[in-house]
Parts: sequence; C-alpha cells; structure tokens
Amino acid sequence: MHEASLLLSRAQFALTAIFHILWPILTISLSAFILLMEALWIKRGEIVYYHHVRYWSKLLILNFAVGVVSGIPMEFQFGTNWAPFSRFTGAFVGNILGFEGAMAFMLEAGFIGVMLWGWNKVPRGVHLFATAMVALGSTISAFWIMVTNSWMQTPAGVTVENGRIVVTSYLDAIFNPGWALGVSHMWLAAMETGLVVVAGISAWHLYRRRHPEFFARSFRLALLTLAVVAPLQVLVGDASGAHVFEHQPAKGAAIEGHWETNAPGTAASWSLLAWPNRKEQRNDWSLEVPGVLSMLATHEVHGKVTGLRDIPLQDQPPALPLLYYAFRLMAGIGFALAALALWTAFGLRQARGRLSALLVQRKLLLAWVLCIPLPYIAVECGWIVREVGRQPWSVYGLLRTSHAASSVAAGAVYSSMAMFIAFYTVLLAAFFIFARKWLRSGPQFEELPHA
Amino acid sequence: MHEILTNAWFGLMCLMLAFYVITDGFDLGVGILSLFSREEAERDQIFLSIGHVWDANETWLVVLGGAMFGAFPVAYATLMEQLYIPVMALIAFLIMRGAAIEFRHAAQRRRGWDIVFGLGSLGAAACQGVILGQVITGLAPGLVPAGFTAVSALGVIAGYALLGATYLIKKAHGALVEASRSHAVIALMLSFGAAAALTAGTMLSSEIGHGRWMEPGVFPLLVVLAGLATFAGGYVLYSLHIGASHGPFRGAVGLFLASFLGLGISVFPDIVPGKLSLAEAASDSATMAFMLCGIAVVFPVMIGYNLYQYHVFRGRVQLDH
Repeated sequence: MHEASLLLSRAQFALTAIFHILWPILTISLSAFILLMEALWIKRGEIVYYHHVRYWSKLLILNFAVGVVSGIPMEFQFGTNWAPFSRFTGAFVGNILGFEGAMAFMLEAGFIGVMLWGWNKVPRGVHLFATAMVALGSTISAFWIMVTNSWMQTPAGVTVENGRIVVTSYLDAIFNPGWALGVSHMWLAAMETGLVVVAGISAWHLYRRRHPEFFARSFRLALLTLAVVAPLQVLVGDASGAHVFEHQPAKGAAIEGHWETNAPGTAASWSLLAWPNRKEQRNDWSLEVPGVLSMLATHEVHGKVTGLRDIPLQDQPPALPLLYYAFRLMAGIGFALAALALWTAFGLRQARGRLSALLVQRKLLLAWVLCIPLPYIAVECGWIVREVGRQPWSVYGLLRTSHAASSVAAGAVYSSMAMFIAFYTVLLAAFFIFARKWLRSGPQFEELPHA
Repeated sequence: MHEILTNAWFGLMCLMLAFYVITDGFDLGVGILSLFSREEAERDQIFLSIGHVWDANETWLVVLGGAMFGAFPVAYATLMEQLYIPVMALIAFLIMRGAAIEFRHAAQRRRGWDIVFGLGSLGAAACQGVILGQVITGLAPGLVPAGFTAVSALGVIAGYALLGATYLIKKAHGALVEASRSHAVIALMLSFGAAAALTAGTMLSSEIGHGRWMEPGVFPLLVVLAGLATFAGGYVLYSLHIGASHGPFRGAVGLFLASFLGLGISVFPDIVPGKLSLAEAASDSATMAFMLCGIAVVFPVMIGYNLYQYHVFRGRVQLDH
C-alpha cells in the first residue's frame, strides 16, 4: 500500500515538475528580452522596437498563463504527497517557498496586469518599470527555487532534532555549497531557451521571407546574446559537473557509468558510450577513452573519482541508463547550441548587417527553426540528472525518499494523476493552437503607442 | 518569545487569508455569476473587470501556503495530507479557470472557455468551503460534520457571489449592474442563512467550538463581531436600495472581515480545533523570526503595488478596449 502510493507520488511529482518547468524558463528569458526591446524603444524612439515588444508579449501571455496554473500544484504537492518531507524540512524549505511566493510570484502577478493591459493607462516609463518587475519577479522566483533545490542536494546550516531540521545558520543554509552553480546553471538555461525560441521563430519568418526587416532585428539581437550565453553555459555546466563529483559522488559516478575507483597515481577512464547495469554492478558494454574522466570530474590529471562499486548499493541512484543518457543528451545539446550560436554570430558579423546575406542562408535559418525544442529537451534532461541522480535521497544524506511520502490512498493519487494528465494534455494542445495562430498572424503594425 | 512569534504568525496568516478571501473571493464570485450571463458582450465586461487582477489575487493563496509551510509545517503537512481530495480538486478548478481566462483572449469562439471559467470558479469556491468546513469540524468523520461541511461550501459560494456581484456593481455598465444588484440581494440572504446555520451548528453540536466560545471574554467579543457583521449586511442592503456604486462592495468586505475575525477567534489557540494546537504545529523560533523579518520588508511593498494595480485600472471597465 505505502509502496504503491510512494511510487505514484514520485511519478506525479515528476510529471507535474517536468510539465511545469517548460513554461517558467520561457517566462524568465522572454520577459528579459521584451524588457531589452522596450528599453531600446524608449532610448532610441524607433517604433520597430515597440512593435517587437507588443509582438513577443502575445507569446508571453500564453506562456505565462500555463506557467501560473501549472505552478499551483507544485506549491501544494509538498504537503499533499510529501507530508513527512514537509514536516522534516518545513523550517527551511517552507520558509524559502514562502519567500518565493511573497517576493517573486506576487511581484510578477502584481505587474503583469499593467504590463499586458496597461498600455494606454500608464506613462511609458511606468510601463517599462512594470515590464522590469515582471522580469525581475521571474528571476527571483528561479533564485529561491534553485536555492531550495540546491539545499536538498547539498544541505547545510541545519541540524536534525526530534526528526525535524532546525536551522542553525540561515546564511549557510541559503548559500549552501550548491547554490551559486545551481542558480546560474538554471538561469542561463532559461536565457538560452528564450533566446533560441526568439531566434527560431524569427528564423522561421525570415525563411518564409515575411517581414524580413522586422525579424532580422530580433534574430540578430537573440544571436549576439546567445553567442555569449551559450558558451558561458558550457563553462558553468563543466563546473557543475565537477561540483557533483565533489559533493555527490554517487550521482557523479552514475551519470558517467563509472564503477571502479581509480588507483592513486592513475587516471580514471571515461566512457563515451556505455550501458550501465545496476544489477551486475558493471557496464554491459562501453566505449572507453583512457584517463579522461579524472580531468573532466576533478580538473586534475590523476584526480580520484570514486566508482559506484565503492558506494553501498542502498545509496546508489536507480535508473542508471536514464541518468547516463539524459546527461549526455543535455551536454550534447549544450555544446551544439554553443557551436551553432558562435558560427551564426560570426556569419552575421561577416555579413555586416546586410539583410540579403542573411536571407540566402536558408539552411542555417532552417537549422535555427529546428533548434527550438532543443533547449527544452536539455532542461528536462538536466532536471532528470539532478533529481533522479539525488535518489535514493530526498534531502541528500538526511532524508530518504522512501521516508518522505504521505500515506495517501493509492486510488486518490491515481485520480489526481489522471486529472493532471488530462488537464496538461488540454493545456498543451490549447497552447499550441493559440501559438500557431499567433505565429501565422505576424506582427500588428497598426498598433501604435499613445502619446 | 516563542509564543509571541507563534501568535504573530497566526495573526499574519489570518491577514493573508483575509486578503485572499476578499480579493480572490470577488473574482471567483464574478466567475460564478458569469455562468448566469447569456450575452457574450456582457461576459466581455465581466472578464475585463478582473482580467488584470485575478492572478495577483490568487497569488495570496500561494503566499499563504508558503507561509503556513514555513511557520506551521506540521499543520501544513497534516492538512494537505488529510484533505488530499478537496485540495487536489481545488487545484484542478484553479487550473481550469486560470487557463480559461487567458485563453479566452486568444480564442474566437469564447463560449466554451467562459463555461470552463465559470465552472472552475464555482468548483474552487465549493472546494474552499469544504476545506473550511473540514478544518472547523476538526477533520472528524460522520454525518453531522458532513452536513456542516456542505453548509460551509454553500456559504462560501454565496459569500463569493456576494463579493462578485457587489464588485460588478462598481465596475460594469448598464443591464449588468442591474442584474448584479438582484444577484447581490440573493447572495446576501444565502450567506446570512449559511452563517446562521453554521453558528447554530457550532453552538449545538461542537463541544470544542462551544467550549472555546464560553471562555471568559470570548463570547462578548463574538457578539460584537456578529453585530458588526449584521450591520455590514444591512449596509449592503441600504446601499443597494439607494443605488450606490461603491457602498455594496464596501459593505460586503466589512461582512467578510467581521466573519473572518470571528472565525479566527473561534479557532485560536488551535489551528485545527481539537486536533492540532498552534504550539504543536509551529516551527522553531529562529525560523519564525527570520521569516518575520523577511515578510516585514516585503509585505508593505506587496500591498503597495497591488493597490497601485487597482489604481491603474480604477473606475468602470472601458468597453472600447
């Protein structure tokens, strides 16, 4: 009975989290992009920037709506499905989620109305401020969520008393060892998503030669930013990997299919591709590159990388092939986007702003259209690595997932999960229908700012 | 010190709950009333009147959830676990209405989304009534608590409809205002009926509730609050009668505040009457103090920009939009 509801609660949390994260990553970045466009409009006074703000805001509304409604279950599921977790961590996790609601959600919600419907009601400066607050709110939200999640990965600043945590130092708990990399990796991933979406949609219009002057501007701006953000993300990703090996050796070994700890004075070899087998405690097959893993994991030639066999079975993560390939897919997409962004930015520089030079690059434009799903896939893979890799722990080293779930009847969890699946299918379908309509209608040049 | 912090957080949560119930109350109420509107032009007015604020209003619920999770983790965990089905149903209804109101703007055929929004609002109000009823009856099983919970659900629906109708009186135009006036009268009568039934039910059938009311100093306070609530209800009727535009809503808010203060006093010092006391449910002092510092900075700012948003969209809705 408990086993079943534990599994169902885990499945439900995975489903709702995987669905929810699709939307805030675009809200964070698209609102920042719109803020940039609006600032350019106010500074330079060119109407084209105003039309960009209005155009991309329409996508933001659709995206924001699904983000808000799919976020509500997240806040309450900790209690409904993870009551023991809530009792155990409430002093810190509840506190931080409360801060998130008060500082971030409310800020977004308080200004989104002015941003979307207040065009003719407030002065331009006030509108710019509202847009800035929406962008800031979504970024603050990401900050607190990643602080909380990082604390679950690398808990600090607490002691356990009577089966509950007591916070001994708020500074240590908030700024736990994983917070900086956690926040920056996620924030950059969000930025990358929005920029790829803007670049991809602009490329689609350029490919079809619809309003090329208009969309060349957003394409260039997105690409020039992406040429900085995407390579930066590769560096932060590399640092995150090393951090995982230092603080969560089991997760590190799992994502690399690494079984034997390397002897002192030797370098651990890296498997390029493999099929890890938890039952046999080895890889069924693997393509190994000698000596590379020590460098990747520790940034030292002979760095010690603990193998999974030196970690008790009960502390090893499950679903090793999933972890192994989710990690590779994420990293692969990260490198591919960085390379394509640099290549395109270089090409744009060579073309020196000539529109014709951009429009003839049909394959490149099409490549950017096809890139739109990639950052989403990378983000989901990244979260799978982060969360499945933390198992069997809910709070790493402090609370096992098997002790964290509510004892709700399995039937109730079945029903709520069926509800989520049905609702999310409808939400997704409705989003795509309306987004397609938006994509076809193009920018509305008859919309003019009031004096 | 610990007790002061515990009580301060209980007070703050009551305040957040009052903000939630009044602000989301009127937009849920507006949603319930939209079910009775047959003309699309009329529903356009209805949705325009809440389009810019419903999200912030609903966010008070999320803030409240976070505050409870942090300050009273045991209460948060116990209530959410025990009330799994009504909480999940509430979430489902909130998803329905949130998605419907935003998608309706983009849709050509709006009737379907409007019905989803109306049903979502009605269902969310009913679920909140069920949760309220279950909390007050101490999560007890049986026929009497079930009856109490049913009346409480009806009361919350009627109360929100009252807030919604009086809100439309000050935001809408023409025939919709007239219709809202008669809706307000019906909703007021139903709210009073439900409140009277719940009060009588507590007096007669709930030992814990009855015991708390008979403590020294509590009963006179509740009588004063009941008097205030009756006065506010009378004020709603009076302002409806003289055709005032803002009076009915103010009266309805007064009615809600008096009722909620009475409810808070009745429950205190428990958080689930007879089941869980505030002291048992509370976090450690350091957490509550830290949260209090945070919220002390953020709370006035939150209220400030919420008021600003209401100020920007003040007055009756603009139809040419």
